[in-house]
Amino acid sequence: MTAVTLRRITGLTLIAFVALAGIFAPWLSAFDPNASGYDILYPASAEHPFGTDDLGRDVFTRVLYGARISLVIGPAAALIVALIGIPIGLVAGYAHGRADQMIVQVIDLFIAIPAFVLALIVMAMIGASLPNLVFVLGLVMWPEMARLVRGQVKSVRERLYIEAADAIGCSRTRILARHIWPNIMHTIAAQLAITVSTAIFTAASLGFLGLGLPPPAADWGGMVQSGFDYLSLNPWLSIAPGCAVAMTVMGFYLLGRTID
Amino acid sequence: MLNFVLRRLMWVLPNIVLLTFLLFAVVTNWLGSPASMMLGTDASPEAVAELNARYGFDRPVVVQYLQWIGNAATGDFGRSYATRQPVAEMIGPAIPVTLELTFWTMLLAISATLVINSIPVGKHVVGALTTGISIVGVTVPNFLLGATLISIFSVSLGWLPTTGWRPWSDGIFTHLQHLILPVLTLSAYYFSTFSMIYRAEYRQVEQQLFVRVAEAKGISRRAVSFLHVLPNAILPLVVYIGTSIGNLVGGAVVTETVFSIPGLGRLFVSAIARYDFPVMLTMGMITLAGVMLMNLAAELILALLNPQIRL
Repeated sequence: MTAVTLRRITGLTLIAFVALAGIFAPWLSAFDPNASGYDILYPASAEHPFGTDDLGRDVFTRVLYGARISLVIGPAAALIVALIGIPIGLVAGYAHGRADQMIVQVIDLFIAIPAFVLALIVMAMIGASLPNLVFVLGLVMWPEMARLVRGQVKSVRERLYIEAADAIGCSRTRILARHIWPNIMHTIAAQLAITVSTAIFTAASLGFLGLGLPPPAADWGGMVQSGFDYLSLNPWLSIAPGCAVAMTVMGFYLLGRTID
Repeated sequence: MLNFVLRRLMWVLPNIVLLTFLLFAVVTNWLGSPASMMLGTDASPEAVAELNARYGFDRPVVVQYLQWIGNAATGDFGRSYATRQPVAEMIGPAIPVTLELTFWTMLLAISATLVINSIPVGKHVVGALTTGISIVGVTVPNFLLGATLISIFSVSLGWLPTTGWRPWSDGIFTHLQHLILPVLTLSAYYFSTFSMIYRAEYRQVEQQLFVRVAEAKGISRRAVSFLHVLPNAILPLVVYIGTSIGNLVGGAVVTETVFSIPGLGRLFVSAIARYDFPVMLTMGMITLAGVMLMNLAAELILALLNPQIRL
């Protein structure tokens, strides 16, 4: 088994595990993720595998339901990145001269912006909600995608078969769609997987800093933060949702790193 | 070389102006306004207008931006809305803290990267191991790594303090003791990314003819790795290190929050939590300019090391 196959299988297994946990959350746990109870800050036990939080909610249940939120945020943000980044990259890569240079300068300009700081500021300005979070993540992550797509198009378009297609009179759109796109699709798909992992990572970090989804949403980053004060009492309050983030991020990351 | 420096400056300086202006416009006008952020979205129009007039948010963006830059040039970043302190006085003490954290993190990450990835013995084992560690390092969030390290070394074993920051005046030992976990947490990520970039380049350089010549001359394998391959494989890393330091200048936001370190990152987060607009804006502007200047510095160092780039 090659290293690439190993990565792909591990990645898919992790993603499947998290997805199944999210989908079957109501069957895996008898508790309501948002219902507070009287058993406040219970240690880990058979009834509460990770204990209960400061509002008496079962942490295991909340970690399960958190998978649903993360698996919506990541792909949704990646979709926005794809919608902005891929067309810009395609145009820049296929255009010659001025147009290409101008787009490249814009991409370079935006890549220089520290994404996380920008995300923090914009989230603070527009307020935390699911659509806002997805919008902000898309906003700070599209330049990477545009740059990658441009580079890919550039490397493919110099090939002889593109020249041949041009010579027999294929239109630009046809060359892009039928001759260039199939050759760069795999790399873009891999980059999309990486984008999903970065989005989930960033969303969790924002949540940890108090800029994630507003309570009572079972937001993994927010759960890590609220558990932090009780680290000496029950470390699972923070570490369990933290591990869930790491597993999901790693799953998508491994899937994306299968093409170098 | 001078020509190259001037050419890069002509490119970077206008970009800094453009980007800081964009940021300024975005936070003061385009995406909501400081008034709605402070008063809430259901504030009465009169209250918003009054606040805008008081702080000068009703003037054109360009005028506000120029005034802000003019004041900033004299060290006046305005006053915090939350504490009424001048922003410069709040940022001042945080700078050395973040710089020191950055220094130790980079020192550890860079030296570990270069040494571990250049050792000629047991290449396959070391290689597989660093690849594994790198994947874990870039995917495990700092808050998880921080929480795990705290619960192992501080809570369970009691070897190290949980959080906080002690100045040098409290004794060198105490000072360094509080630094260990944050520096470890931060450098895990940087070691991982640096290793990936360095290893890829190292493998390419290793294939080149001059390396084989050096080996053929009978130079020890260690000398070949460290004296012949390393200096040539380090180039792509230089630019990346520049960008990383630039990003850390804005403060290691998450790690400083995890360990309650009074640096720029934590100041930034607390400003955001309190809707303290002037502090937020200043931090954003400083980070942006810092990142771009560090990128420039990295480019210049690279040009010094590799004359081809100056062309």
